[in-house]
Amino acid sequence: MRTLNRTTWTLTWRLLRGGGRHGSLAVGLSVAASALCTTLLFLCVGANLGFAARAAHTDWRTPAKTDPAHAVAVQAVATTFINGEPVTVIDIAALPSNPTKQTKPPAPPPGMPRFPRPGEVWTSPALGKLPGSTTTTGTLGRAALARPGEKVAVVGYRANDPTMTTKRGTDPRRPGDIVTPTPVADFTGTRTTDGIASQYQALAKLATVLVIIPLLVLGASSARLSVSRRDTRLALLRLLGAAPRRIAGMAAAEAALTSAAGAAAGAVGYAALLPLASKVPVAGGSWYVSDLWVGTPVLLAVLAGVVLMVTISALAGLRQVVVGPLGVVRRSRAARLNAVRALLFVAVLVGYWQLSAGRPMDIDAVVYCCAAVFAALSVIGPWAVGTLGALLTTLARRPTTLLAGRRLLDDPKSVWRAVSGLTLAGFVAGFFALFSIAGGTPWSSPDQLSLSVPKAQVAAVRQQFGVRLKQAHIKATVGTTTTWVATGTGTGDERQITATIANPRQLDRARTALTGLAPGQFPITGTDIDWQSRRFDHDFHLSTLAVLGASFTVAIASTGITAASSVLDRRRTYGLLHLAGTPLRVLDTARRTESVLPGTVLTTGALLTGLFCAAPLTFAGGTPHVDGPGVALLAACLTLGFVGLAGASAASRPLLREVVRGAGPRPD
Amino acid sequence: MLEHMNPNSPDPPVLQGIALSKSFGSTHALDAVDLAVRAGESVAVMGPSGSGKSTLLHCLANIERPDSGQVLLDGERIDQLREPHRSELRRVRFGFVFQFGQLLPELPAVENVALPLMLGGMPRREAERHAREWFAPLGLDGKEDSRPGELSGGQAQRVALARALVAGAQVVFADEPTGALDRTTGQDMIAMLVKVTKAQNAALVVVTHDESVARWCDRTVRVRDGRIVGEEPATRIPAAGTGVRR
Repeated sequence: MRTLNRTTWTLTWRLLRGGGRHGSLAVGLSVAASALCTTLLFLCVGANLGFAARAAHTDWRTPAKTDPAHAVAVQAVATTFINGEPVTVIDIAALPSNPTKQTKPPAPPPGMPRFPRPGEVWTSPALGKLPGSTTTTGTLGRAALARPGEKVAVVGYRANDPTMTTKRGTDPRRPGDIVTPTPVADFTGTRTTDGIASQYQALAKLATVLVIIPLLVLGASSARLSVSRRDTRLALLRLLGAAPRRIAGMAAAEAALTSAAGAAAGAVGYAALLPLASKVPVAGGSWYVSDLWVGTPVLLAVLAGVVLMVTISALAGLRQVVVGPLGVVRRSRAARLNAVRALLFVAVLVGYWQLSAGRPMDIDAVVYCCAAVFAALSVIGPWAVGTLGALLTTLARRPTTLLAGRRLLDDPKSVWRAVSGLTLAGFVAGFFALFSIAGGTPWSSPDQLSLSVPKAQVAAVRQQFGVRLKQAHIKATVGTTTTWVATGTGTGDERQITATIANPRQLDRARTALTGLAPGQFPITGTDIDWQSRRFDHDFHLSTLAVLGASFTVAIASTGITAASSVLDRRRTYGLLHLAGTPLRVLDTARRTESVLPGTVLTTGALLTGLFCAAPLTFAGGTPHVDGPGVALLAACLTLGFVGLAGASAASRPLLREVVRGAGPRPD
Repeated sequence: MLEHMNPNSPDPPVLQGIALSKSFGSTHALDAVDLAVRAGESVAVMGPSGSGKSTLLHCLANIERPDSGQVLLDGERIDQLREPHRSELRRVRFGFVFQFGQLLPELPAVENVALPLMLGGMPRREAERHAREWFAPLGLDGKEDSRPGELSGGQAQRVALARALVAGAQVVFADEPTGALDRTTGQDMIAMLVKVTKAQNAALVVVTHDESVARWCDRTVRVRDGRIVGEEPATRIPAAGTGVRR
């Protein structure tokens, strides 16, 4: 590119370096915004890749059925519980190799150096550390596990053992927990789409969409920081005869330099935060750091993406300078924004309602709809700021209100950039706050263990219950029920045998005592059944907090950076007004009003939009109910958001004081 | 001590700087300077760059506090006031015209002029009504609702002049008021500045490099190395054709 030649880079570099202390501060703010944007982008991408990696590491536990003639093993899965935590038990029976075939020996299961022999128990490190695990044959490697703290056991059997020959019925209430003995040709497994791993992947995708758009806004905003200073400077160069292509090249070079520095700093920040991020307990526990590492190709792609986005944003903002430098230098009247923006916003909301009302939406559809509403908010935002400014200007009685109103009316896009992060965070808060997936559970009886056995064996197994519990010195009441708790063979011709344990602390000992009474089946309680939905619900609320936290952090950072940048951009006018006797308090109040007022109005509007969009999903399953903790969360978010907004705006007050003081005389 | 007062005028000075000294680090910007200005009088302060003329203006205008010396307004000492009172004093009793950039770009011209009145507590409608009265006499008829970016340099300076005087300033300080204007527009501007301040019986202190600007003032004081090194009455240029109709 001829426009990005050495002269352009040299000139840009000199202008960047020669901006003085305030110029350096503005460049620093741009770099900081790019860095924050990049770090959070990496964490978002890392979380998505992490969930995918976790899912990939559990694929092998869902056996891919093969022709028995080609099978190398039989594999089955069951789930038991220790201290209420699930323990995945994979039963494997190696099949004798066909002597007529000269093939190399089959690969062992992931994380194991060889096939487990009958009677051997291999455990994950977390399971092996539990008391009573002294009989462990070996420790499963990382390849077998989704996360460091996961409790997994691989048990070896003979192929003709009843455990490997008795059919196991699947339980739709807890997908993936039970798999009937299946002949397999290898241990690559299959990807499940109805398991908890898929739910987490979908949640991560939704959370990413909700966080990534405010992030992109922040990234794009970083290019617009100190825009008037840069535009004026470039416009003057244009007036001096620099060609439009040279101006565009300089703007691109400046944006590329600052965003590249910011993106690099953001990548370093991401790498530094990785160990800390890996400690965040999601979906049952902490992460392998390697799962959250995005990898070199994605790393480079995100870095390039951030630089490209900021550069394009800078060029888009530069059109005025290139097209007509006088327009920028002399700040002619800004064009009023069209009310078509408001109509477009309403159209998107109506479309969303039409799509979502009365019919279930899959997570992808929700993601796309949220993205569309986000985009619609970004369209109506500047128009709403301009309208608010017009209203404020008309009604203003005090100078501070008049100044703020005129500023909103004069440059609504710039004000929107300052408050857009908070507005989009308001949408996230509204969307998530009342969006509860916990519909209550019909399952209870945490002290009652159940096994499902064929009718014909009820009496014998019931007797064994009593004997084994007595031998283990556990007080319990043994009975039978028809309520479906445990899943046996899945034939339907079965009964539940129950043992109600008197001392809940003996529950796990009772499980151990009763294990083995039904082949391939572990005794479970009513509360064990919905462990997946309980865990997901818990993590969903945690994710809500994380998304809201990230959104508000980005928003407040964005507001703070933009407020500081605005002070730097207007420092001459502020300084001269102060010299002419305008109290600093008036300038500061006007400045804060121009961000706090639209921030409050637009965030409240976006929050209501979020509630509107979440309503069809929240109430899809049944009776509408008000989620108390959700309302509290909403109130807390709003309070923190507004305090943060006011704080971010107030944080630039010392800068205002400094630029005003700096307007006085200095020795020539 | 008060040698830089107009000896021919019997009126007491409205603004008086006595033995003003000011340093920035090791640089002595002002060194025991005396200057007095009477109501309706215009004084040009001239000198090379770094001579201390702008510092003198800022000390007289109570923007900067002198290291030593006194500033009296109507005989009352003002250099020891605390910041809020200094701001109020500058807003109510002084007016300012700078080289450029003192108008708020987002406010129409009339609101820029009305701002000091509103800051003083006058209701907005009344303030704007008062502000509008200044437009026609300054040749700005029809420009009330224009933004500063839509005005020429000379027009913007005249709006700034209206803002400086609208609240009834006793002293107007102008720091290189024609610095960003072409020669003809600059001459018109200074002529108007002198005429209008005189019509208001306000004192005018103009800092300038330009001899042709200084000639419009009643007298010129010359500053070098932080000291007043000379004073002469200006050779008055007739104020014809300035367009001042007030």
